[in-house]
Amino acid sequence: MADEAPAETSTLGSATRSADPVLRVEGVEKGFHRGIPPWRRRVAVLADVSLAVGRGELVGLVGENGSGKSTLMKVVVGLLERDAGRIERHGRLGYCPQAPLLWEKLTVAEHFELFARAYDLDARRAGSATADLLSELQFERYRDYRIEDLSGGTRQKLNLALALMHEPELLLLDEPYSGFDWETYLRFWEMSERRRDEGMGILIVSHFLSERERLDRVYELRDGRCEEA
Amino acid sequence: MTEIALGSADFLREHLRARLTLAMLVAIPALFVLVSSSVLGEFAAALGGSAAGDSASALGAGWAAAFLAGALGFFQVSSSRDADRRLALAGMGAARVVAARIAASVVLGVLISAVAFLTLVLTAGVAHGAHAFAAILAFALIYIGIGTLVGSVISEPLEGSLTVAFIFLIDAFSGPGMSGSGGAAQLMPTRKAADLLIAAGAGEGSPGGDWLAVGLTALGALLLAALAFWLSARPRTG
Repeated sequence: MADEAPAETSTLGSATRSADPVLRVEGVEKGFHRGIPPWRRRVAVLADVSLAVGRGELVGLVGENGSGKSTLMKVVVGLLERDAGRIERHGRLGYCPQAPLLWEKLTVAEHFELFARAYDLDARRAGSATADLLSELQFERYRDYRIEDLSGGTRQKLNLALALMHEPELLLLDEPYSGFDWETYLRFWEMSERRRDEGMGILIVSHFLSERERLDRVYELRDGRCEEA
Repeated sequence: MTEIALGSADFLREHLRARLTLAMLVAIPALFVLVSSSVLGEFAAALGGSAAGDSASALGAGWAAAFLAGALGFFQVSSSRDADRRLALAGMGAARVVAARIAASVVLGVLISAVAFLTLVLTAGVAHGAHAFAAILAFALIYIGIGTLVGSVISEPLEGSLTVAFIFLIDAFSGPGMSGSGGAAQLMPTRKAADLLIAAGAGEGSPGGDWLAVGLTALGALLLAALAFWLSARPRTG
């Protein structure tokens, strides 16, 4: 799947070369308009961002607050339009947004059913994926709870589980562990490393220096540009 | 098709599980119909209108349906915009999300209209029941379009709901039987539906041209709602 861009860059930087990429981002630019005319101005967030994620790679994306990490994720997924550049994705996409995007009055089980239909999973596969993820993230007992009755950490578990249930080839995780307790945090990394070993390409927004040793490669986003750290 | 029906059922559940929504569904029609039948005549006279009696009660039921549908239409878009977009990107696609949302909106519109109609029948009675129900439904569908459109451009709950209420007030107070009969009042979205409802309340029929105009307005409002849902759920690929 390749998204053609309004303006393309022609040169591949070293950062975008990957043996078997599931994601390739080249020269992506994104800005936002602020204020009202005639004082309206464009604030550039991403300027010429390029990166790649290969199959079986666990890649980190780091940067200060406001550096554009979540904006880049949203542009890659298709939640935000880009102003320029090119994005290529291969295979099924899983996306775990920073804030859980859920429906307050629906239950955990209803969310799994809704996303199983969106992912076009048959009943058997949907059932086993749901049971596996509920067990793996240890929130089976909340299966029939409405989202409005869940804690922040449990919402985040569901948010992550919905991104994983169709076993995507490319998984984009935007600070997926906010609200997790220490045990769940460690379990999250075990899950990610296991899936990486099975061939999933994972791009994860990360904040902590201590996580760098868990990652195969790290990109740093600074001043709107992305460099391999 | 099944996916759309099941998605629509989920979206409906999201609304009908809110206790406040259910309470408003009963309270607002009762309030509007009862107020309309008592003080609306005096209020309309003060504004230079002529609404009174059964016609005013019938009009109150239409307004109740419009008010509720506008508010629910707004919150259908504003509270679920990002989640709907995530679902569309997950593979459901914007078109199926829009279809499920429209189906849920129409069911909500029918439900709201049925409660408003039932309140009218129980409190004031109505001579032309089928005509009155069709006109009340038109009020609801028109305001689903208005509410969703406002929701697609204004995401903040306070600003959005105030905007819907402002449009509603302008529409209601410039409607037939209230203050206006010519000029800009003719352009108000529920103008023809109000004419039908006043006639049905008084036990009179309405010309075919009015029914056609109301049908086209309601259809246009649903298309507007579809556009609003699509603007919210569509992928942004540049």
